[in-house]
Amino acid sequence: MNQTVITVQNLTKRYKNANKNAVDNINFTVNEGEFFAFLGPNGAGKTTTISILTTTLGKTSGEIKIAGFDIESEAKKAREKVGIIFQQPSLDLQLSAEENIRFHACLYGMFTYRPTFRMMPAAYKNRVMELAEIVGLKDAVFKPIKKMSGGMQRKFEIVRSLMHTPSILFLDEPTAGLDALSRRTLWDYINNMRRENGTTVFLTTHYIDECEHVDKVCIINKGKIAINGSPDEMKQSLLKQELVLDAGDRRQLLRELSEMGMSHKVEEHIIVPYQDMTAQEIIARLKTKLSVLKIQEPTLEDAYIEYIKKTGGKAA
Amino acid sequence: MNAIAIQSKKPRLSRELNAVVTIAARDILLAVKSPAGLIMSFVMPIVMMGMLGGSLAQNMTAGLNFNFGQFMLVGMLINMLFMFTMQGLTSLVEDRQTDFTQEMLISPVSRYSIVIGKIFGSSFGGILGMVGTLIIGLVMGITLSPWQLLLILALSPLMCLSAGAFAMLIIGLIKSIKTANMVVMVFAMSQMFLSGAIIPITHSHGILLVLNRLMPMTYCLDLTRAVVYAGTPEYANVVLFNPVINCMAIVGLTILFLIVGTLGFVRSEKDR
Repeated sequence: MNQTVITVQNLTKRYKNANKNAVDNINFTVNEGEFFAFLGPNGAGKTTTISILTTTLGKTSGEIKIAGFDIESEAKKAREKVGIIFQQPSLDLQLSAEENIRFHACLYGMFTYRPTFRMMPAAYKNRVMELAEIVGLKDAVFKPIKKMSGGMQRKFEIVRSLMHTPSILFLDEPTAGLDALSRRTLWDYINNMRRENGTTVFLTTHYIDECEHVDKVCIINKGKIAINGSPDEMKQSLLKQELVLDAGDRRQLLRELSEMGMSHKVEEHIIVPYQDMTAQEIIARLKTKLSVLKIQEPTLEDAYIEYIKKTGGKAA
Repeated sequence: MNAIAIQSKKPRLSRELNAVVTIAARDILLAVKSPAGLIMSFVMPIVMMGMLGGSLAQNMTAGLNFNFGQFMLVGMLINMLFMFTMQGLTSLVEDRQTDFTQEMLISPVSRYSIVIGKIFGSSFGGILGMVGTLIIGLVMGITLSPWQLLLILALSPLMCLSAGAFAMLIIGLIKSIKTANMVVMVFAMSQMFLSGAIIPITHSHGILLVLNRLMPMTYCLDLTRAVVYAGTPEYANVVLFNPVINCMAIVGLTILFLIVGTLGFVRSEKDR
């Protein structure tokens, strides 16, 4: 069984001069190598939680362990294990992309600082170029950050965070501002990194489709954890599966459904939600000749929007 | 994919030193990339040493029983180091505004390494200011021997640390770069007048005496003058304290300010 690498117990955070908690007594665990997604609308407490976990923000109360280290008493040891892609850009605009990356790599003790790229060891140079190629910006490595577009800056921010290979990678809205191709290459790289190094990934994102294939999803809303489970569990708990049916003799089909005790609604076609029976069992009992037959699998996004609607919030 | 993990086997001290060098190097790089900053390093000595010091030397130094020019040159060298180091450290507030402090604070290095790196990086401007001051001194016909210069240079890291620690104490809790610049300038100018950089303070009394005894630059300046004037007849007229007292005051104040300033800075970052 995988070890727990992130343990959050009764975490509460109230900002100074605030009259309510930004994060309110939340509990969750993340196992080693797990891909964990933190979902929630704007202001739900996602960034607050990630900032506390990465030791850049103090907590009001609660206990947190990262890789077995308490983030209060063993903060430095905990920091050694983590990497983060911040939501807010944090590059030095006056430096070139490479200078920003070199600063990060040397600060993390990966390499001894040298004043120029040429003087840095081959391992450093190769890694910078390898990562820059992944985000498609090999030619811009030596350009000043201030002369780059927001998207390019974001890509170099990602390169910087991936320089050291952290055992726990926090991604706070990592693909915001990236084009579709860059998003795809980034996820390919991160998945590859997970496979090769067993990296634990903690993700917050606005793109819910990015959470479809994660191991565990946690929905946070108004500072509290609402649902915690696998994407499939979440879909099942929030949404029923549906059959979309229609027939030339629609009246007969509706009669049959009523006799079977199946609830249904008539829209463009007939929508039949089901939970206790399988789709195959329902279809096998129908005698009416069908003109439309579709099994509608809810997506994680459907489940998320359904949850946010139920709780009266706004989707991210 | 080449995976390069953090070299945790590197000795801790060497990792912290590497972090100090990295942080200092960034500030030096930024200073080199800023022509305005470089020009200021030479304009300030013209204003302070050439205009202010020159006017004082010509009009108000009659009756002094020591060479005012040399007295002023030593004072201005240390003043430049203090003023530029303190001013340079305000970039920490700028880093906070641009969220760059997050990048530093998330790294697995001591918070003291971050602050000490910033101090040494900021002192690069101070060293340039010292060079500018020496050039202006040369133009005004005021010089120091190579040995005296070497002694001052040897003391300069301690002076930079002292200046930086004092600045940390002041700016640790400030979140606006405008405020930080103003507050640091007020303290830097006060130090220049109160600690005897340009005006002798042998006869200071009352509140001015209390204030100059509280300023770390008073002890840094006095220690430097004790070293430069050692064995000369002017020593008694120029130096206030025994060098041991100066050393103790500098080390004590630096450690105190560094700890309180760093804690304040980290606290204000984390406790929002």
